[in-house]
Amino acid sequence: MKKGLVFALALILFAALVPGLSAADAKKVTVWCWDPNFNGYSMKQAAAVYNKAHPDVTIEIVDIPENIEGKITAGLQAGGSGLPDIALFQDFRIEQFLQDYPQGFVDLKAAGVDYSKFAAYKVGPMTVGKSIYGIPFDTGSTGLWLRADMIKAAGLNPDSYMGKNLKWSDIVKLGLAVKAKTGKALIAYDTTNYDFIRIMVQSTGTQFFNKDGSLNLRTPALKAAIAQVKDLNDKGILYLTEGWNNWISAFNNGDSAGLLQALWIIGTLKSKPENAGKWMVIPTPLLEGVAGAQNASNNGGSSWYVFASSPNKALALDFLKSTWASSTPAALAFYNDILKQCGAMGTYLPSRTGTNYTAPDEYFYKSQAVFKDFSAWMEKVPVLMYTANYQTMNTAVKNAVLPLLQGKTKSIDDVLTAAETEYKQTSGQ
Amino acid sequence: MNKRGSYYRYLNRFGWLCVAPAMVFYSLFMLYPILSSLYYVTRKWKGMSNTFVGLGNFARMAQDKIFQLALGHNFLFMFTQIPLMIFLALILAVILNQGIKRLRGSFRVIFFLPCVTSLVAYSVLFRILLQSNGLLNNIMMNAHLIASPIGWLNDPFWAQTTIILALTWRWTGYNMVFFLVGLQSIDSEIYEAAEVDGASKVRQFFRITLPLLLPVILFSAVTSTSGTMQLFDEPNILTNQGGPGNGTMTAALYIYRQAFVLNSDFGYATAMSYIVVLISGVFAFVQMKLLGGRDK
Repeated sequence: MKKGLVFALALILFAALVPGLSAADAKKVTVWCWDPNFNGYSMKQAAAVYNKAHPDVTIEIVDIPENIEGKITAGLQAGGSGLPDIALFQDFRIEQFLQDYPQGFVDLKAAGVDYSKFAAYKVGPMTVGKSIYGIPFDTGSTGLWLRADMIKAAGLNPDSYMGKNLKWSDIVKLGLAVKAKTGKALIAYDTTNYDFIRIMVQSTGTQFFNKDGSLNLRTPALKAAIAQVKDLNDKGILYLTEGWNNWISAFNNGDSAGLLQALWIIGTLKSKPENAGKWMVIPTPLLEGVAGAQNASNNGGSSWYVFASSPNKALALDFLKSTWASSTPAALAFYNDILKQCGAMGTYLPSRTGTNYTAPDEYFYKSQAVFKDFSAWMEKVPVLMYTANYQTMNTAVKNAVLPLLQGKTKSIDDVLTAAETEYKQTSGQ
Repeated sequence: MNKRGSYYRYLNRFGWLCVAPAMVFYSLFMLYPILSSLYYVTRKWKGMSNTFVGLGNFARMAQDKIFQLALGHNFLFMFTQIPLMIFLALILAVILNQGIKRLRGSFRVIFFLPCVTSLVAYSVLFRILLQSNGLLNNIMMNAHLIASPIGWLNDPFWAQTTIILALTWRWTGYNMVFFLVGLQSIDSEIYEAAEVDGASKVRQFFRITLPLLLPVILFSAVTSTSGTMQLFDEPNILTNQGGPGNGTMTAALYIYRQAFVLNSDFGYATAMSYIVVLISGVFAFVQMKLLGGRDK
C-alpha cells in the first residue's frame, strides 16, 4: 500500500515536470535581438506604434546578449522549435543562414513588401534568387568618435578637427599629442574583434572574397590596414582591451579618448549621461596609399527576419509591414525618434525626411548634427560582399593579427599566411 | 528462501517499474543520440543538407591544425592542472583533518563553495578582474610585484595560466571533500603504530596516507580527466572563445564552433566528438590500470 502511494506520488511529480502543451498564443509576437539600448529600444518603439492600432497584440522583445546565432542554429536544426517569430541578424551573418537553411525563413518579397523603398545595399545580402527575406534595419555608417574635452586638455582645438577629411597619419599626430599631454591613448581597440581593420579595409571598397566566393586576403587595402594598426599600436595610440564589454567601458569611462565605430554605438554612448557634451565624431580617416580610399566606411548593420516555423507568421508580417516598411506619419515619427535616441539610422528611404536627420543633437559636443554627417557619409559607402564564410574569415584574420600587435609575428605576410591557413582548416575548404 | 515466491515476483516487477522511466530517458537522450550520430559522422553537413563523405571527416581532422592545437591544450590542462589540483586537495584535506575540529566545518565550506558557483557567473567575474587594467593587475602593480600589467587575457601563455588557475580554484575544494572522507576511513591505529616506529609526518603521508587513499585519488583523477577533455565554459567565456588567437581553444569549444557558429557542419563536429570520447576512454583505462589494480 505504502509502495503504491510513493509510486503514485512519483508519477504525479514526473507529470508535473513535463511542460504542459500551451496553445500557440494567438495574439503574441516574439522578437529576439541583442543590445537593449539600441535594437531592443527600436523594436519597442515600433511595437508602440503597432499597439496603437492593435492594442490586443502583445509584442515580446527578448534580449539575447550572447551568441544569438548559436541559439538560432539550434532552433533551425530542430525544425523551428524554440525559435521566436522575428529575429535580428547582422547583415554579414545572414548569407550563411540563408544558404544553410533555405526553408527556414519567410520570403517577404512574396508577402508583398516593397523593396524599392529600402536602400539597395541592404537588400543585397538578403536576396537569394527571386526571393528577398528580411526587413532592412540600420546602417553601419562609421566615423571616428573623439572626446572633445580630452583634445582640449591636450592643448588642441577640437573645432579644427570637426568635419575634416583626415588621413590616418593626421590621426597619428593627434594621438601622439593627446598621449603626451594627458597620458591617454586615443583609440580603444578590442583585440577580440575584427571591426577596426574591417572598417579600414571597407573604406576603400575592397572585398575579402573574390567574385566566386574564394578567399582573397592579399589585397593592398588589408595589408595597409594591418600595417596602420601596427603603427598605431607601436606608438601607444591604441588602448587594447579584451572583449566587447571591456572595450565599451574603456571609452565610456574615459580610459581612452575615442573609438572607431559605426553610428549604432550612439545608444551605448548616450547610456552615460555624464558624458553629454563631450563626444564629437569626424569622418572615418583615409587609408593612405590605397586606390579607392574614402573617408567613409560601413561596419555592420542588421535586418529583421521572420522564421518559417513561426505560428504567428501573418501577424508578424503585418507588424513589420505596418511599422518598419510603412510611410504612415506614425511610422515615420518612430524612425525619427529612434534615430535621435539611439542612433538607429534606418535604411527606409522615405524616413529620411525626418527632422532629426538634419537637426543638431544636443548630447554631442557643440550640438553636432551627427546624423546629417552620417547620412552624408553613408552615401559614399560601396556595396559589400559578405558570402556565407564571412564569420570564418573574420575569426581567422583577427586571430592572426593579434600576435603581430604583440610582437610575436614579424611580418604582415606571415599574418596573412596564418589567416589563410586557419581559414582553410576551419572552413574545410 | 524461495525466490520464486509471489512476494519476490512482486518486488521484481515493482523494481522494473521504478527503473522504467529512467530507462526510457536513458534510451531517448543517451542511446538514441549515440546511434544517430553514426549517421551524422559519415556525412558533411551544411545546415539542413548533407553529402556522404565516408571517412572524409576523419581525414579532415588529421589535417586540421586548429583541432590538433585544441587537443593539445586539453592535454596541457590535464597534465598540469590535475596533478596540481589533486596535490593541493590532498594537502588541504590532511591539514583540515589534523586541525582544530571546530574550524574544520567552516573551512570545508569555504573551500567547497567555489565549485557550486555558476560557471558563467564566475567566468564573467574573473574576466573583469583579470583585464589589463583590472583589479589583480592594479594590486600587483601597486605592490610593486610587477612592472607592467600582465596580459592575463591577451597573451596565450598567461591565458592558459588563467584557465589553470580558474580550474584549480573551482575544483580543489570539491576533491578535497572526497579526500577528507577518505581520510576519515583510515584507521588512526596505523598512524599510531607509525609514530611508535619513528616515522616522520612526511613519511607517514607518502607511505600510509597516499597508498590508502589511492581509490579516492583514482576517482578524482578519472572524473577530472573526463571533465577536462570536455572543458568548454572557461575557454568560452573567461578567455573569449578560445582566445587570444586560439591560445586556449579546447576540443569541446572547437566542436561547438564548427556546429553552431561557423559552419553548421554537424558531421565534422560529431566526428571530432568521437575522437574526444575515444581519448577520454583511453585515459580512464590507463589510469585505472595504473592506480586501481591493487584491489583486484
